[in-house]
Amino acid sequence: MKALLAKVWANPMTFLGALLCLAIVLAAVLAPWIAPYDPADQDIISRLQPPGGAYPFGTDQFGRDILSRLLWGARISLTVSLGAIAVAVVIGGTIGMLAGYIGGTFDLLVMQVMDVLLSFPSLILGLIVVALLGPDLINLVVAIALTAIAPFARVARAPTMALKERAFVEAGRALGFSHPRILFRHILPNIMSEVMVMASLWMATAVRVEASLSFIGLGVKPPTATWGGMTRDGFENILDAPWLAILPGLAILLLVLGLNMVGDGLRDATDPRLRQE
Amino acid sequence: MIRRFGFKAAILAAALAFSTPVFAQPLPILRVGMAAQDVGRLDPHFAVSTIDRVVVAWMFNGLVRFKPGSIDPAEIEPDLAQSWERSDDGLTWTFHLRPNVAFHGNYGMVTADDVVFSLKKSSTAATSAFAADFAAFETIEAVDPMTVRIKLRNPVPSLLGILTNYAGGYIVSRRAVEERGAGFVRSPIGTGPFMLDHVTPNQSAELVAHEGYFRGKPLLGGISYRFIPSDASRDLAFQAGELDVNYGRADQTWVNRTRQLPNVTVDVFEPGELTELSLNITRPPFNDIRVRQALAHAVNRAEFVRWRGADVSREGQSVVPRGYLGFINDPGLLPHDINRAKALLAEAGYPNGLTIRVIHTQLPEMLSGMQVLQQQLRRAGITLDLNIVEHATFHQQIRQDLSPMVYYSAARFPVADIFLTQFFHSRSIVQTPTAVTNFSHCDKADAQIDGARVATDLVEQRRLWAEAQRIIVREVCAVPVIETLLVFGRRNNVDYGYELNGSMSLGPLITEKTRLR
Repeated sequence: MKALLAKVWANPMTFLGALLCLAIVLAAVLAPWIAPYDPADQDIISRLQPPGGAYPFGTDQFGRDILSRLLWGARISLTVSLGAIAVAVVIGGTIGMLAGYIGGTFDLLVMQVMDVLLSFPSLILGLIVVALLGPDLINLVVAIALTAIAPFARVARAPTMALKERAFVEAGRALGFSHPRILFRHILPNIMSEVMVMASLWMATAVRVEASLSFIGLGVKPPTATWGGMTRDGFENILDAPWLAILPGLAILLLVLGLNMVGDGLRDATDPRLRQE
Repeated sequence: MIRRFGFKAAILAAALAFSTPVFAQPLPILRVGMAAQDVGRLDPHFAVSTIDRVVVAWMFNGLVRFKPGSIDPAEIEPDLAQSWERSDDGLTWTFHLRPNVAFHGNYGMVTADDVVFSLKKSSTAATSAFAADFAAFETIEAVDPMTVRIKLRNPVPSLLGILTNYAGGYIVSRRAVEERGAGFVRSPIGTGPFMLDHVTPNQSAELVAHEGYFRGKPLLGGISYRFIPSDASRDLAFQAGELDVNYGRADQTWVNRTRQLPNVTVDVFEPGELTELSLNITRPPFNDIRVRQALAHAVNRAEFVRWRGADVSREGQSVVPRGYLGFINDPGLLPHDINRAKALLAEAGYPNGLTIRVIHTQLPEMLSGMQVLQQQLRRAGITLDLNIVEHATFHQQIRQDLSPMVYYSAARFPVADIFLTQFFHSRSIVQTPTAVTNFSHCDKADAQIDGARVATDLVEQRRLWAEAQRIIVREVCAVPVIETLLVFGRRNNVDYGYELNGSMSLGPLITEKTRLR
């Protein structure tokens, strides 16, 4: 693991991506202390102020400080994407491991259900779920998690199928270990690196889906600041105050870029073909 | 040589001038941009949204009409009826129809039978959204092919108002309705200066000139009514010259920026849509008047006007919009006072404030207004937990009595009776057989509203309307917030043919005289 991490950090692009993600995580964690204003507080007299002066990133159509809303909005983006991917890893990973380990008809049935889920584009599936359940933070996490369960099931299933034939698993069975013990104590640690690579890449997708759902009005309710919601509100004023759409759009871009750079670095470090090169 | 050549050229030019065939120039098409995903129902008796109201006004007429550009009831003039008389008791009205008024297409001339059919359709809940307006109608009958008689159960403050070219007053072709059935909502037949050619869903409604229009052939070849829901996209299309008329945003920033554009005029006109907060007085937490008073004290009307802009909005002064017959500007509204609001909440048992779950629309203009209100109430400790739904669902759910507070904007015929009846009379309470839009379940001023309707003395009528407004405000059945005027941009070559000061159809009336210069 140490060797893997050393390889990851040796890649400057991965390092830069990690720095970007770290900066955004820090901004989100420290938002209550570093945000200059309450993100929901309106100052109607100061509406649509351009960046500068008392409002470094300007104000929106209600006179709310954009910088404060970006800082608080980072919390929503990170909470939703982290929460959704954690749920997807646990559920999808477990389903994939069980399918790969049990095999046979169970594997066939489960993976066909996963194929059906995979046939929906992430945004469309998320949209259906949020439209059915209603837009709020928990439902957003559920919706995005549902879109990511199938890929994680696939990623967990393939190595499990290979690992269950390996000698150490056979030995465990011969010693009378229970199936859960074999699965979670012996197989799981061996597939974790692949799942984690997948998780970092899907985090970026989750951020994009959350922003897209918020953009079309199916995100967290007002007045909570979300980057997607801020971009949507800004778009309606793009001819009067272009910064309202540009700044949250830029924040989404940086977070997705950072997550993708980290994900690519992790994948490169764990890919045996690239390792041989 | 030069002179000889010049002479030949002159002869050639003259010959060409006389020999070139003269082609008639096609009349121009007016392109109107609307904030809409699509048009809804074009049966005028079901046209309740702004999007539908605007376009049906170009296709239909009433027995009488507001003078184009005006919403002053004193300027109501003949339309399909050329004259009328009323009995001394005001209960019988006889209308004499204008002869030779053609319906669109091959649907013949307007007769008393069409008028009777249309008004009966308007007064029936199954075939009209405006049936409640016709509650006082006892009989509608054709005296002869060109005369219609209406008998009322009791006098109404403005019968002509109900029969204007607005809401339920539009006259439709009986034969077209019967032939087309449910399809009439997308293929309507009227008598107006323009008729529907076709609708391309999510794109546009295309209208063509009605050459047999009784006031004369329109100066436009047609109207392209284009659906562009995004304000920014519509504004860009307007700036690029792809639209001649653009639905504007009631926002000072929009007005100021659009006024800077070359060759563009911004029209800001009546009626102001009054936004009110209806509070359900029969259920917690608003069954306690102290909570209602706290909410009223928390609302800051001046801040709303600062937010919208002084050119396009004004403070709501009563539960009836300004300028309506019977409106009073001193009904006793509670002033903005956060400390008083907090004290009242504490008295009512909410020392730490309270949270109210409210259903609201995702329509940007209404959602942004709600966000301003949400922040104002938050300062007093009232948290609004918004359940944001699609606009049609919002209308459905508030009529199912699912929201304890309803944020609603409306404009009606400018007489207090209609607003008071629809929003505050017990007959109009939602979820009752005669429901209209009484979301507050208010029944405190029924006697005054009913009394004013049958009052024959105008002074007494006004006194009763004033008393009704004071009672409703005192009981805090609703809190008036802001009046928002209508805003449209147009290129300077668009000449409506009249001065646009107001339009009951909530958009510029396009008449036979409208032209592109």
